[in-house]
Amino acid sequence: MDGIDLSVAPGEVYGFLGPNGAGKTTTVRMLVTLLLPTGGYARVAGYDVATQPGQVRRRIGVALQEAALDPLMTGSELIELQATLHGIAPRSVRERGSQLMERVGLSRAAGRRVGTYSGGMRRRLDLAMALIHEPQILFLDEPTTGLDPTSRLTLWDEVRRLRDDGTTVFLTTQYLEEADQLCDRLGIIADGRIVADGTPASLKAEIGLPHLDLVLADGSDLQAARELITRFGDDRPSTEGCHLSIALQHGAADIAPILRALDDANFVVAELELKQPTLDDVFLDKTGEHLEGADEPEVAVTEPV
Amino acid sequence: MRRSVVALARRALVNALRRPQFLAPLVLFPSLFLAINVGGLGATRQLEGFPVVDGFLDYQLAAAMVQSLLIGGVTAGIAAALDIEGGFFDRLVASPTPRIAIVLGRVLAASVIAFFQVVYFLVLGLVFGASIKGGVLGVACVLAIGVVAGTGFGAIGVLIALRARNASTVQGIFPLVFVVLFISSAFFPLDLLSAPADTIARYNPLSFIAEGLRQPIAFSNKAGPVIEGLLAAAGIAAVSIGLSLLALRGRLRRA
Amino acid sequence: MRRGLNEILRVPAGALPGVIAPTIFMLGLAAVFGKAASLDEYQGVSFLAFILPVGMLQGAGFTGAATGVNLARDIERGWFDRMLLAPTPRPVLLAGFVASASLRALLPASFLLIVALALGVGWPGLLELSIAALLVMGLAAAMACYATLVALRFRTQQAAPLMQIGSFIAVLFTTAYAPRELLSGWLGAIADVNPVTHVLEGVRQGFVGDVTWAQTWPALLSVTALVLVLGALAVRGMRRQGL
Repeated sequence: MDGIDLSVAPGEVYGFLGPNGAGKTTTVRMLVTLLLPTGGYARVAGYDVATQPGQVRRRIGVALQEAALDPLMTGSELIELQATLHGIAPRSVRERGSQLMERVGLSRAAGRRVGTYSGGMRRRLDLAMALIHEPQILFLDEPTTGLDPTSRLTLWDEVRRLRDDGTTVFLTTQYLEEADQLCDRLGIIADGRIVADGTPASLKAEIGLPHLDLVLADGSDLQAARELITRFGDDRPSTEGCHLSIALQHGAADIAPILRALDDANFVVAELELKQPTLDDVFLDKTGEHLEGADEPEVAVTEPV
Repeated sequence: MRRSVVALARRALVNALRRPQFLAPLVLFPSLFLAINVGGLGATRQLEGFPVVDGFLDYQLAAAMVQSLLIGGVTAGIAAALDIEGGFFDRLVASPTPRIAIVLGRVLAASVIAFFQVVYFLVLGLVFGASIKGGVLGVACVLAIGVVAGTGFGAIGVLIALRARNASTVQGIFPLVFVVLFISSAFFPLDLLSAPADTIARYNPLSFIAEGLRQPIAFSNKAGPVIEGLLAAAGIAAVSIGLSLLALRGRLRRA
Repeated sequence: MRRGLNEILRVPAGALPGVIAPTIFMLGLAAVFGKAASLDEYQGVSFLAFILPVGMLQGAGFTGAATGVNLARDIERGWFDRMLLAPTPRPVLLAGFVASASLRALLPASFLLIVALALGVGWPGLLELSIAALLVMGLAAAMACYATLVALRFRTQQAAPLMQIGSFIAVLFTTAYAPRELLSGWLGAIADVNPVTHVLEGVRQGFVGDVTWAQTWPALLSVTALVLVLGALAVRGMRRQGL
């Protein structure tokens, strides 16, 4: 790690976005007291991770990348063990366990050995175990890697629900869409450093404005069209063949007026595309490289839930 | 804390029972070895210097027990190493479980298994004609030494697991079990050993443990050997548990 | 067979356990039970000389078992299926495994011999050593067939202990530690019917006395019979798998 400075407010979903090997997992391991920081300090839930690890552990829930489960035990046994280890009263252990299994949809599989669970099921058990003691802060290391789209969405819903209930969520991810959709704030990490920090919207706005790409019908008078729409965006529109591209000063609100103007002047628009800057653009801007895996989830290995 | 230790011990035991291929060598191999020793070398009782015993089996039971307990220690180590490799160990570390409980849980499981190992050999011996000279008190002594020794060996296993990189390394320790056992008086009287076993065995704690186990079975309830055995076992247990805790702390500091 | 030899050349470290374990056993047993040889029935032979053959055969057995473990691993990984698609006749395939095991078994046997000689065991003579080598290779072949059988039956590396225990029992439930007269009733009875006893005595003769035809032919017969029977079963096992 090269130097990380970040702070996460209570009740927000903070995302750590970066390619593999950037240092996401290392940072998480430091924050959950599995690793001692070599320099600097970290305070989680108000306690120092190095000097007050016990206090930290009581208040955090952790679901790491490799769902660290014991294949020979059943789901119930594992979650009840976790409950006991977190000091939940003996009477409540079983009840709490089954509540949580139900919440993640594993009630029917609870009596089966974890070795028989699919990847998605293990991930869910992992999450249940992380939540058993109602932690203030939940750490999720790449929670949806390898999951099929449906499971991913289900997990996102769960995270949002947790956030709405007041839990702070710190998650790491290599998926742009996940960072964009789920996180209140993001830190983009590469080579052990944070290269950008802020809300998804602010990060993208930093990079540039959305663009409207238009393709006019053949034979249109491009020159005239160009002069016409320059009114709307002072950025230099680019032209290629029958293509027009204009930066939208006011975002999507500008689209209708532009189209109306073109229509009034009897131009025919054959194709239209609204291009938003993406987090990949942000990443490219800050690090000079594309974020790996920017085109999944379709491409990712999917597992049935 | 107590609850954590018990919960972790229970988990370790459940795991052991669900992995029968681990349990089998625990008693199977020492039993085979016992059978061959007794069947083949029984005549050595005639040698001058061999103590008077009812049967060679009576004499050899203690050796089989120690061997089995040592294998139990290696097995506990392998299981602990698998936990570390698989990430389950991390889960325990990230929870508020007291650090000590992580080690003690598995050690306690080893103690419980040790109890049953000793019982197995006592019953086996009785079935095949041995007798326990010291009676009920003798059995209690044997169980006490056996359980404490098994605890110590389990802790050694955990110690090795914490220091080793992976489970295969721990498994590689297996042959060492036989080496240390061969340089003790577990199988044969101290005075009748040949070089280099004869000198080393004098100081080998396994000798004391074996003699402590053997005394109530083959001879009588004499306090001396039994106490020596108990002390040797307790010493090993204390040292290895201590070292395991240090190793745990060391591991937690590293990446 | 070339593959088997390749394995040993490529992974010399992998051959170590097969050499170390029997050595530890041999030296350990000698250090512990050495004085047993002062009993008359041992006829003045040192305990180490008496059990050296046991070690050699254990090494052979272990090597044979290892062949089975490797086969099981290959089966698990699907590599074996690929081999089966080649037009090689099954018995030839088996002969390949078995031959490589036989040759490799000479490694632990030689090592044990050198250690024993260094510790004072008398030089048995070339003829005696040749016979011993032949028998060691033969037993390794037989054990390899047995292990192959197990591997084909269970198709998983988890069956390894079964292979190893089989070899262990075969070699030790014999006149391994003591002459026949000293064995207790039940062990004596087993040793009498165990063909490996003959093999053991055949290997041992050079180290405890002179080689005689009377002691050699039962050994050769036994080992040949073992190889043929287990080999046939193994081939049948291969055929049964639809191979």
